[in-house]
Amino acid sequence: MGPLADLMQGFMTAATPMNLLMCFAGVLLGQIIGVLPGIGPSAAIALLLPLTYGASPTGAIIMFAGLYYGAQYGGTLTSVLINVPGESSSVMTSIDGYKMATQGRGGVALGIAAIGSFIAGTFGTVGLMLLAPPLAKVALAFGPPEYCMLVLLGLTALAAVGGSVLKGLAAGVAGLLLGTIGIDPQIGVPRFYFGQSWLLDGVDFIILTVALFGIGEVLASCYTSKADPILNVGRVVPNREEWGHAWKAILRGTGIGFIIGVLPAAGATIASFVSYIVEKKIAKDPSRFGRGAIEGVAGPEASNNAASAGAMVPMFALGVPGSGTTAVMLGALIMFGLRPGPEMFTTNSALVWAVIASMYIGNFLLLIMNLPLAGLFARLLQIRYSWIYPPILAICVTGVISHANNVEDAWVMLGFGVVGWLMKRYDWPAAPMVLGLVLGPLFENTLRQSLTLSHGSGMIFLSRPIAAILLLIALLAVLVPPALEMIRQRRALA
Amino acid sequence: MQGRIAIGELVLAAFFVALGLLWVWTAARMPLWQGFAPQSGFMPLWYGITLIGLTAAVVVNLFIGKEPTKEEPIGKPLLVLAAFAAGIAGLEPMGFGPAMFLMLLFMFVFIERLSIIPSLLVSVTTTAVLFLIFRTWLKVTLPIGPLGF
Repeated sequence: MGPLADLMQGFMTAATPMNLLMCFAGVLLGQIIGVLPGIGPSAAIALLLPLTYGASPTGAIIMFAGLYYGAQYGGTLTSVLINVPGESSSVMTSIDGYKMATQGRGGVALGIAAIGSFIAGTFGTVGLMLLAPPLAKVALAFGPPEYCMLVLLGLTALAAVGGSVLKGLAAGVAGLLLGTIGIDPQIGVPRFYFGQSWLLDGVDFIILTVALFGIGEVLASCYTSKADPILNVGRVVPNREEWGHAWKAILRGTGIGFIIGVLPAAGATIASFVSYIVEKKIAKDPSRFGRGAIEGVAGPEASNNAASAGAMVPMFALGVPGSGTTAVMLGALIMFGLRPGPEMFTTNSALVWAVIASMYIGNFLLLIMNLPLAGLFARLLQIRYSWIYPPILAICVTGVISHANNVEDAWVMLGFGVVGWLMKRYDWPAAPMVLGLVLGPLFENTLRQSLTLSHGSGMIFLSRPIAAILLLIALLAVLVPPALEMIRQRRALA
Repeated sequence: MQGRIAIGELVLAAFFVALGLLWVWTAARMPLWQGFAPQSGFMPLWYGITLIGLTAAVVVNLFIGKEPTKEEPIGKPLLVLAAFAAGIAGLEPMGFGPAMFLMLLFMFVFIERLSIIPSLLVSVTTTAVLFLIFRTWLKVTLPIGPLGF
């Protein structure tokens, strides 16, 4: 079947009442989570996992995908109305979006963000549909050395996305290290369980994710006071002149976002940043930027949504996530007994295409929800954080103990929650740690298999072209950001 | 509050170094290599060494960094953490319902200084909703105390 026939099949699966409900629940929850402080899409997905045990994996992943791109839009509301980006990818939106809100044009900023997100999300999904299957076909030829380097690339790329590459790498290695707790995947002997039988199954990815993204986030932000949002959003549909300024920015942002989203060492944050810079560079009057230019909202918003779709390409086709949230989704896929990677398009083709089809539906739902309901969502910003975080902690503990009916897990979560708090406080990225734990067994298996194949020689990773290229990209992902930073600092000093 | 180096970050780094040392020490006592194949201790040993090396590099960077580190106050997060730990400790002796209810109420009334009536309402509602979803709907075995929930 070609991609179009596959997509039609996907629409048939996604359009069942249950899956439509999951999609709606996902985008709505995502939007609310994006607006409320203290819980991001990664923790939300981890907390929702126990609720989806009985559901079909297709429905659950449709909901998680909806939550992912719904949260992107939710973050826009906080950027525009209180000048606090809900997600790092909305930082650029707040520059001109908040200015527009103070000028009484908050509704237009939210409206153009919704329209831009819809257009970008739709084109991004088309890109995902066209690019992921051929990429997966190439990756089907991968052996243990290529897989090993692919996992290495995923880890280094995610580490490189954050502020400090060194901290990201350390977090990734800590995750790999925690992944060795339990039974050796190759020989079957127990290790690193320190005489505690409940550690024989290893550290569960849900516990670590909830601890780092849920508890850590709450402890890091529990002294946040009430925000003062601009509640009068005004009209949401842009007029002719505003639309004239915005549509080209949306198209450019879509292209930039998708390409950057697909790249392993980039993400929605970089995509929105690049889009803003491009719009400012090519503008006839760059001085309008920072004073409420609609292109400063339209471009970055289109860009970060297209990047979300782009990040799904490496996740579905290669099993390598392009962002923290897709790293958690990857863990969810594994928990449902699926193996993310090239085989997904052959062994679980119905699920993949249903999720892709649901993304079209979800983007449409977001558009029709946001144009009339922007003012209503804005009111959510009035809720004090003091009312929000205690229930989040109660949900965290319930979700974790329900996973294995084990109170010891709650203590493990508390311990890693403290680690997550310190990591958040001092800008150590948490996503590489979760990814290290999730991909640790695959990395260890493939590395040991590769070394066995080569009689212990590491040259196997250099003598096989694809493995060597992946290794080179992994090295570049680690070395290029610090090199660019050094050049930037030297230029600033000169 | 501003300081040259954040103590909390050094504590975090010390935790990672300790974790690395524990793995190196344990892995060194496991079989590392047999014939052509790496054994159970091989990867954990390298993970431990790499974690120690990377964390040491982060610490060195902290000391040679030019910007002073900003420190947020830690009193409230520690209080929240203590209440959360007490809530978990109460799960088995008191049962899920009372432990979560009291934890929520303590956080709302004593930590956040919120009004008692809305705090009671939100605490009861949150606990009841969680109990209904997990215990009644999903049939999850939650810890039961003397009160039966």
